[in-house]
Amino acid sequence: MDIRLSGVSHSYDDFEVLRDISLEIPSGRIVCIVGPSGCGKSTLLRFIGGLEQPTQGKVLQIGTPPQDCLNPLTYIFQDFALLPWRSVRGNISLVLEDHGIRGARADAIIQDVLTRTKLSDFAKALPKQLSGGMKQRVAIARALAVNPAVMLMDEPLSALDSQTRELLMDDLISLWSRTPFTAVYVTHNLAEAVRLGHSIVVMSRRPGEIREVVHLDKPLDQRQYGDADLEEQQKYLWQLMREEARAADAELVHV
Amino acid sequence: MTIFTRRKALALIGGTAATAALATPALASNRKITVGALRFTSHSGSFIGFERGYFAKAGLDVEFKFFQAATPMAVAIASGDVDYAVTAMSGGLVSLADKGAVKVIGGALSEETGIDGQKFLVSDAAYQAGVTTPAQLAGKSYGITTAGSSFHYMGSKMAAAEGIDLKFKPLQKVGAIIGALKSGQIDAWSIVPHIAKPLAGSGKVHIIGNVSDYLPDYQVTTVFTSAKNAAGEQQMTKDFLSGYSMGVADYNATMIDKSHGEAGIQELVDLVHKYVYTDRPREKAAKSIINGTMRLNEGAAMNTASLQDQLSWFQAEGLVDQSISLETVIDPSYVQTLG
Amino acid sequence: MSDPKMSDPNHQSSSPAPRQVTFRGGGFAPASHRWIGVAVFAILFALAELGTRQGWISPLTLPLPSDVLGTFGELYASGLLWAHLSVSLTRLLVGAALGASLGIAVGVMIGLFSYVRAGLVPLTAALFPIPKIALLPLFVIWFGIDEGSKYALIAFGTFTPTVVATYGAVDNVDRSLIRMGQSFNLSWFSIVRKIVLPGAMPGILSGLRISLAIAIILLVAAEMLGAEYGIGAYILEAGSLYDLERLFAGVAILSLLGVAVSSVIGIVERRLLDWR
Repeated sequence: MDIRLSGVSHSYDDFEVLRDISLEIPSGRIVCIVGPSGCGKSTLLRFIGGLEQPTQGKVLQIGTPPQDCLNPLTYIFQDFALLPWRSVRGNISLVLEDHGIRGARADAIIQDVLTRTKLSDFAKALPKQLSGGMKQRVAIARALAVNPAVMLMDEPLSALDSQTRELLMDDLISLWSRTPFTAVYVTHNLAEAVRLGHSIVVMSRRPGEIREVVHLDKPLDQRQYGDADLEEQQKYLWQLMREEARAADAELVHV
Repeated sequence: MTIFTRRKALALIGGTAATAALATPALASNRKITVGALRFTSHSGSFIGFERGYFAKAGLDVEFKFFQAATPMAVAIASGDVDYAVTAMSGGLVSLADKGAVKVIGGALSEETGIDGQKFLVSDAAYQAGVTTPAQLAGKSYGITTAGSSFHYMGSKMAAAEGIDLKFKPLQKVGAIIGALKSGQIDAWSIVPHIAKPLAGSGKVHIIGNVSDYLPDYQVTTVFTSAKNAAGEQQMTKDFLSGYSMGVADYNATMIDKSHGEAGIQELVDLVHKYVYTDRPREKAAKSIINGTMRLNEGAAMNTASLQDQLSWFQAEGLVDQSISLETVIDPSYVQTLG
Repeated sequence: MSDPKMSDPNHQSSSPAPRQVTFRGGGFAPASHRWIGVAVFAILFALAELGTRQGWISPLTLPLPSDVLGTFGELYASGLLWAHLSVSLTRLLVGAALGASLGIAVGVMIGLFSYVRAGLVPLTAALFPIPKIALLPLFVIWFGIDEGSKYALIAFGTFTPTVVATYGAVDNVDRSLIRMGQSFNLSWFSIVRKIVLPGAMPGILSGLRISLAIAIILLVAAEMLGAEYGIGAYILEAGSLYDLERLFAGVAILSLLGVAVSSVIGIVERRLLDWR
């Protein structure tokens, strides 16, 4: 299933946030969206998943999601959004219960996603017992459980320290390498973008417009921490964004 | 009638006591004392004593302190904020006496056969259901302010005399009891005539008996003071009682014996109205004041037999300590004792 | 450490002798000293006992603590303790259960529906400051002088604080969790049951702590009218009889009741909120 954005614009009253965004998200690819803070990239992600509606333009699904897909558009949030009163298991079963999946069927799915995220030993743990990286892996496992057509990832690694971030990036790459998934990955971290993105959408400061789309052909599993070519790409992206970021930083916060 | 002559005799005693006090002016003349009072007709003795200058003649400068209920007044006597007051010998008063704080030194209001006294009342619902005598109250609910109050005593003694059971409902305040009786939440109650009669007039409650039928010579209220005053301030206490007794003598002579005619009654009503029913116009107040007339003990004489009976009842009900004797509660050295 | 200044003898001699940095980070850190609380109680009791025995506290001011204990013993031995306690506990239980469950229901509704909020929040604000005791005579007319009015008074007294605590708790549920629920297509009912209610539970429970303390206060008020038995009736009777030993025994029972209720909520909190 592909996603197509056509002419998406958005404003809050007189305050223009996004201007005329058109974008294609092809199946089985990871599209990273980068841009200075306040450029509307997270808002864009909420449009894609239907949590908010743009004032103009359309978000379209092309093709039908696979049969066993419970929740085609599935988010992974920056703050993990785990229910603190439910165990790891309970947090995953939460999203299955409403589909009538209980008992053995649920157990099988939970077992599978926990294995894939290397959490099998922590099924009974409560979120408060887990480190930030583990929490985000639980959130990823929860997203995998509904077998999404598109994963919508909103700065998923921003709340983690840099070592954990590296580990999780490796995890995401190995997950994708085993079964490629479609993802929109919003981040302000260019290193993440060059590691995970098949294409990188660079946005301008507010009102957000697409400045350039950079394509990276190097297969994900061959990208490493500190690769020279990736460093080059990152430098290039930074050049594109530098002035925008400076101007965005000098803006007054609009509340 | 023997009662009448006895009363006359008492009036004489009261009178002589007063003259005696006047003849030998108190050492500390114009002593300031505080007298506690409720705004009830039954406190007229103190009001008349003040208004007609009897206290002043006895060498006392009286200041009134008004209370809403008897218990805080008793506590104020115990704490020394008030020197003398008139109220029923409630369980609380007995407890305070037991703790060495207060003493009963005289009698005030009393039931007397042949004189309109307190009434038993029933709600309209109970009356319509056929309760027309106290004997028919078996199993009915009966309003009281608190356990150990005079209402509790009256109801309990009546029930014992009739051999019936009553369910006592403590409602804290007279106002709450009236409300509950009018709306049929409780079945029965007993109260002084000046409250009973207008209530019965409204048709929502009915009078079904007299308290005096069960408790003849019931000493309803008493004069009391702190134990310190009773023991150490004998002159002051005598002076107070003499002034008070002269007020009582005026009250009884005018309101009950009508010896000063209609004009005397009206004059006294005007005087009492300064303190009682002040929120009502004079005509309405006059009716209530006249309705509320009950005999006050001449010379503040007290009926020790009735007081003993009340004390024994408190003890039988487990409301006060079994070891308390009447001597602990009263100081009979100031006034004539009856019974 | 090759800092030249450190090894320069001239420099060293001109500076004062080394001094330990003074510690200034003390205090402001609550620590648990349970025995001090017990000691304060014990000292107060001992002082009261000594004072009344020696006579520098008059028996009018304070009863002998040992007499109060004796009165309590008599009350227990006579079986009346249970007679008073059982009716009071029933009133407390029924009244508080009615008030709290209704309060939670209304509070959740206010938290979830803006029309309900617009309609009921001003009403709750109007009801909250009413001294419920003042309405007791009215309740007697409405609900009867027997148990009805007592349940109603306690229920009404616990209702308003529970409503306020509950909708505050619902308002404070992490919006990102609700958004997560929506993003996984959970039904409205599932979101309320699995996300909003458990998320509001800490706030509801701490609200209940206050509501139940109010219920105990109102117990005495409720037993002012027409109660023959009950801890409140026992205290009122003792007050009107000026029986300080019984008064204090009754008040101590209420205090113990308060401590018991508080620790029950503590247990419930530990069981339900172990995820915090």
